[in-house]
Amino acid sequence: MLTYLIILLDDTSVSFCHADNPRCERRLIPLDVLRQGIRFAMMENLTIQFVYPDYPLPADYASVIESIDHAKIKPTVEAADVWVTDKPFEGEVDVPVVLRITRQELFAQTEEISNLIGHAPRLNIVITDIGAFTDDDFERYRALLADISARVETLTKEGRMPWVSLVTDRMALTKMNNCGAGDSSITLAPNGRFYVCPAFYYEAPEDSIGDLEAGIDIRNRQLYKLEYAPLCRRCDAYQCRRCIWLNRKLTREVNTPSHEQCVVAHLERNASRTLLANIRKANPNFLAETKIEEIDYLDPFEMKREK
Amino acid sequence: MERKKVGQVTPEERDEIQALFERRNGLNELAQVLTADNTELYERLVTDMGKTSSLFQEWWNDMSAKYQWEATENGSWEIDFDTCNIYLSE
Amino acid sequence: MDVDTAKYITFIVTKDCQLACKYCYLVGKNSKERMSWEVAKQAVDYILAHESDMPEEAVVWDFIGGEPFLEIDLIDKVCDYIKIEMYRRNHHWFNSYRFSFSTNGINYHTEKVQQFIKKNSTHLSIGITIDGTQRKHDLNRIWKTPEMERGIMPKPEEERGSYADVVKNIPLWLEQFPDDSTKVTISSADIPYICESVLHLYGLGIHEVNINVVFEDVWKEGDDSLFQEQLMQLADAIIDGGYYRDYACSFFAEHIGKPMDIETENQNWCGAGMMLAVDAAGNFYPCTRFAAYSLRSKKPIIIGNVHDGINKNLLRPFLTLDRFTQSPRKCIECEVASGCAWCQGENYDAAHTETIYERSTAICLMHKARVRANNYYWNKLYRKLELEGLREDYDENHRKSSQTPC
Repeated sequence: MLTYLIILLDDTSVSFCHADNPRCERRLIPLDVLRQGIRFAMMENLTIQFVYPDYPLPADYASVIESIDHAKIKPTVEAADVWVTDKPFEGEVDVPVVLRITRQELFAQTEEISNLIGHAPRLNIVITDIGAFTDDDFERYRALLADISARVETLTKEGRMPWVSLVTDRMALTKMNNCGAGDSSITLAPNGRFYVCPAFYYEAPEDSIGDLEAGIDIRNRQLYKLEYAPLCRRCDAYQCRRCIWLNRKLTREVNTPSHEQCVVAHLERNASRTLLANIRKANPNFLAETKIEEIDYLDPFEMKREK
Repeated sequence: MERKKVGQVTPEERDEIQALFERRNGLNELAQVLTADNTELYERLVTDMGKTSSLFQEWWNDMSAKYQWEATENGSWEIDFDTCNIYLSE
Repeated sequence: MDVDTAKYITFIVTKDCQLACKYCYLVGKNSKERMSWEVAKQAVDYILAHESDMPEEAVVWDFIGGEPFLEIDLIDKVCDYIKIEMYRRNHHWFNSYRFSFSTNGINYHTEKVQQFIKKNSTHLSIGITIDGTQRKHDLNRIWKTPEMERGIMPKPEEERGSYADVVKNIPLWLEQFPDDSTKVTISSADIPYICESVLHLYGLGIHEVNINVVFEDVWKEGDDSLFQEQLMQLADAIIDGGYYRDYACSFFAEHIGKPMDIETENQNWCGAGMMLAVDAAGNFYPCTRFAAYSLRSKKPIIIGNVHDGINKNLLRPFLTLDRFTQSPRKCIECEVASGCAWCQGENYDAAHTETIYERSTAICLMHKARVRANNYYWNKLYRKLELEGLREDYDENHRKSSQTPC
């Protein structure tokens, strides 16, 4: 069910997900388009997430934005509901942080990143080149997740459980919680057209799924739903982003994840399982509803093929 | 040519002779394209053909001894790979 | 060897053909794209070097076109190389392989083709396509003219059918491959000739006729009724004429026309992705139907090439496809679903988006008509056999269709 409307306020709005925003030329969303987008969201009962560029918006935009309940996703921490950054931060932050980072940067800065844990209410680590993971990278990622888990475990035992997407999300989930692009969320771009997600706008602005006048028309819409994803519908790596854009880019199909996405998600899942077991040694009732079974595969595709 | 069903082998036994049959055919057809100047492969092939023929004959000897199929002086046994049936043809 | 579980590797050796069949799905045929020896060799080398990625016990090396026998010199060289390399590498496929051809039959008798057949006689499967009676065959299977390559179509009275050029080779083919079958394709205009055509093929000595309606959306209102009528006539002719024991026609199959369980009968029909096709440029495809020359409105799906190998991520959607995910609700709930086929390539070509996950249902009414005629056939045949006390004998000894989904 459609629940969220992401509104890109500018062509240079910050990317908060796996895809980079290649646009560097400013193109602010026209005010009337913004108003129509908000009106659309109100009529369709959608929660709006505004995505900001790195420059201040004209003054008359603020009153329009504030005319509806929303969340602000910003490249600066000031007045943000979610702060998106591409570098480890210093000090304490009082809003959730999205840290966008390549796998090599992540491996090179393991210690700095571990030290961020507990200094923001939530740390979402988004790897921007999942498709480039090699077998060696998977091993390094496994080690990195163990380091992060150790830090989370220490803080949890001190009574200050931090939220780090890579290892704590799965512990708290009892069903899939994916990005939902094309299913629970769509994106309105500055050109007044709807897209499956911001990445689809960056890559192919001609492939929209409707506009404010004609409404939304998602062809083969069922394929964005979990039950129409053969590999995912029985998977229990519930924290996986199941990035529709990455699926499309790497396998050509929006409902089929790549090998790299599956393995990364399962390494996270398995790290969460170990972390949960370790925390439960001291606190047996910790997140009691969560069960994470032991499995002997990292890519459900291999299991499906064997069957 | 007359053909009469005289017995049956198990699917596993059928698989053994079918594999040897396929290999023998493969070697025979390879022999038509492999020339003696490819010394290494040619020698391997010649050895392989002899070995496969022996195994092939051994299978028939073992199975006929095991199942005691009817035989005639000028007849020969055949197997139907689909049904595992053994036929006597004259 | 068990061809049902074999790996199919298809070499698109040429996009040229002597004919210009009107129903041919190959929209981009031409006389320019011919596979070179270098590309063929690289493809064989790549495939044989990746034995663990292709664990199927058996392999079918399939050569198609256009018309494959136009490239008999290349094919001969490639097949020799395959045999030598499988043996040299001690590849498990050496013990279980076939060379397969679907040909229009025109060059079948030529010396080069016959020499090739003699050399590989125990490893060949050759199907000659003949569509039935002369008028049915010549309706579609016409000779190509030089003007056609320039887009100029002949007037109906100038069309030259190919029946006579094919039928002359049928006796030789049947002598060499008495158990092989022919493939017949039915489009809208062919419906009135189905019954007479199958009987004609039986009369030529062909014991197995694999016959399908095209998957493309070519059907007109009323075609399903005509189709049903033709199949009922054919059913009567096969039963009354006593053909049912020694001849097979794939239209009549006991398992079709039943509801299907969504859990236990959720397999994909089509083998795209489990097959591998390579074209003259050295590109790999999940099946030939995803090559550019097969597609009307979509871009080709290239999953790799002979230099860089196969991108396994691009194969994942093909290998995870199931019936539920690609079928509309009407197919899932259909009470006569079993046996209703689809072609992944046509699904992709006809889909509203760039997906292989949208099943085309253009043959829906035709399948239902087939099911009704099929029910009639088996009810009539079984009653006859029971009255004659021959049911058991039939079950044990009748010729079964060897057709498997592609």
